[in-house]
Amino acid sequence: MAPPRRSRRPRTTLLILVLAAVSIITLDARGGFHVITSGVRSVASDAFTPVRSGVNAIVEPIGSFLAGSVHYGAVREQNQKLQAEIDQMKMQNAAAADQAAAMKQLTALLHLPYLANLQTVPAEVTDFGTSDFAATIDIDMGRADGVQLDMPVVGNGGLVGQVVEVSHHTATVRLITDGQSSVGVRYGPAPGSLAVLDGAGAGKPLNADLVPSNTPLTDGEVFTTSGLQGALFPPDIPVARVVASHTGATASQESVSLQPLADLAHLRYVTVVLWGPGS
Amino acid sequence: MSRSELGRLTLVVLLFLVVQETVMLDLRIGGVHPDILVLLPIVAGIIGGPSRGATIGFGTGLVSDLFLPTPFGLSALVGCLVGFAVGLATQALDRTAGWLAPVAALAGSAVYEVTYGALGSVLGQPQMLHVALVRIVVVVSVTNAVLAVPAVRLMSWAMAEASTEGMPMSDAGVGAAR
Repeated sequence: MAPPRRSRRPRTTLLILVLAAVSIITLDARGGFHVITSGVRSVASDAFTPVRSGVNAIVEPIGSFLAGSVHYGAVREQNQKLQAEIDQMKMQNAAAADQAAAMKQLTALLHLPYLANLQTVPAEVTDFGTSDFAATIDIDMGRADGVQLDMPVVGNGGLVGQVVEVSHHTATVRLITDGQSSVGVRYGPAPGSLAVLDGAGAGKPLNADLVPSNTPLTDGEVFTTSGLQGALFPPDIPVARVVASHTGATASQESVSLQPLADLAHLRYVTVVLWGPGS
Repeated sequence: MSRSELGRLTLVVLLFLVVQETVMLDLRIGGVHPDILVLLPIVAGIIGGPSRGATIGFGTGLVSDLFLPTPFGLSALVGCLVGFAVGLATQALDRTAGWLAPVAALAGSAVYEVTYGALGSVLGQPQMLHVALVRIVVVVSVTNAVLAVPAVRLMSWAMAEASTEGMPMSDAGVGAAR
């Protein structure tokens, strides 16, 4: 019996498939084709969300049960400790309410535009990135909640990132530590100098670009978004603080490392700012 | 490819996708999560040979791309290359040998992840090489080696009409390795 004919030309098949894949990647990277792929991704994500939450609802209790039975002693101990902490916090809560009121007043006094007049949507983080090759998070808010492409996302005390994919009820946020991320920032005494913070990968510090050599910077100095016309982020959102800076003997720029203010590894809730570069 | 085979393949891909997007995304080992979708082109290559490995690798890659923030089409490109390579490397071997699937999954996954990072970097995403590549390779390869045998079973069921490409003529009528 002769083998089937179609499998006779594997190299031709491979060549055609490689060409097809490279064409798709190229078309996706430039031009209007990205709108199509983005739309298809959005539809796939919408279709898959109920499946994912359904399976998670089944799988998570089983996982928790197994983990719970293994760590029973530790869980019991932790429970007692938490109970004590709750009592402690109840006491602190009263004091905190007072402080929060004061903080609100101070913010108003200082005219901090950071989110003051901007509409926001709170969102829960559902996943820490579907790929090991990019620093992204998935959130449980989408187009239906007013979230749109390119909107800034803040949380845990600073800028978190920007919405890069959005479907009906979910969205993907590219973190500021992702290698594709660039944030226009302002630093130093008012009116401030301008720089760009580039991501270098999840968990790694940000690098500042365009800081002139021998600029005096103190460790801990906070860089905020510049909010220049056409910028991707509204002004004055705190982004990162300086952890190290030095100028090489022949360098034309100062090499500055910054730590994001938001604890990006432990995000649970974030806030999407309903703001676009045009608004 | 017949309609029933396409239906079975779709079911298998969906199963892998659901497991990847639920269990595997929550399972982080050293900050890296396993990627069982990488197994699909590898087992398709083992069972179907280079040509079908490449075709199925391309298709499953496109499906993975729908759920990844990396460039659209990159998984399809790497999937067809890896499916082809695994098919080519294993076609002279006894595909029913017990060690073949885990070893092919281990090596194939490692090649997949390195190629993925390298091609992504070439295609305008230089940060894709500035990741914990060694950790990714180790986690993905080892989990896929462990899961290779059930994956081959599932894929053999889906590809019931697997090609006889590269198989000794005497085995041509037997069909897929089971």
